Amino acid sequence: MREHKILFTGSMGAGKTTAIASVSEVTPVMTDVANTDMASAKATTTVGFDFGLLSLDNGDRLRLFGTPGQTRFDFLWKILAQNALGIVILVDASRADPVGDLQLYVDGFAEQLRRVPCVVGVGRLGAAGAARLDALAAYLGERGFAIPVVEADVRRRDDVLLLIDTLLAQIEADMLGVQ
Amino acid sequence: MNPSSGPLVDDTLRKLAQEEAAAMARELGDIRAVVIATGDGFEIASSVRGDIEAERIAALASSIAAIGAVVSTEAKLGTSTGIMVMTDRGFAVVHAATHRGMDLVIHVIAGADALLAQVNYRVAAAARALSAA
Repeated sequence: MREHKILFTGSMGAGKTTAIASVSEVTPVMTDVANTDMASAKATTTVGFDFGLLSLDNGDRLRLFGTPGQTRFDFLWKILAQNALGIVILVDASRADPVGDLQLYVDGFAEQLRRVPCVVGVGRLGAAGAARLDALAAYLGERGFAIPVVEADVRRRDDVLLLIDTLLAQIEADMLGVQ
Repeated sequence: MNPSSGPLVDDTLRKLAQEEAAAMARELGDIRAVVIATGDGFEIASSVRGDIEAERIAALASSIAAIGAVVSTEAKLGTSTGIMVMTDRGFAVVHAATHRGMDLVIHVIAGADALLAQVNYRVAAAARALSAA
């Protein structure tokens, strides 16, 4: 059995903790504390990391790590990204500037994104769904990244599994030399 | 991107926290930094030397405290009250505190000449003072 690490990141409230809880086979480790930031209505926020486990059909296991979203915890981003097989960036499309949010994490994980695959999961799309997905994809294209952008409601297990499958498909394609 | 605006901290807490931070830095030997922060990593008060960034120390403190809380839970050891980081040139102590229901963390960074037991004793006293106010 081999174990691999997948990292979930994204802005505060994008659903990192929820995503891991949706698929973890064990009770996730969470480091949520009371949120005192007046800019957010969230009751709690992650200040350390989230951790969950997911077994694959081939017997391998995924260790799922979630980062805090706020930049004041970016020292943890680098630590948690070490040896990650892939990165899931979650974007909350209902926030004021989803492209700006995405940029923060593309910049924050720029070094890793040169080496490991990534998928962007977008939640809370609302009525302007396709246009918002296109804007995020266009931004990534401008940055020279070929990263899939998919809609995902991280409260739904199947949506989170789709994000993970999308990552694993990229990993498999890289291993097969498929471009 | 929505910027953080920080916590609403009452003046009583901020004043007391600043007094405690300054007192700890003054009373204890070889102290590099004292930072008192909210549980989610916003600096409330600090007394730092050199190029230590109080805001980053505040965020570090909350992460360390939260991870300590997880360790306590996973190990069924009750409630975490503090963490120590021992290094070859000193140590850091992170201690939990509360003030009127708000979770706080006290983070002291000390050099090799500081006395661990003395720092722990003084930090615990500061935590009690913040909780009692």
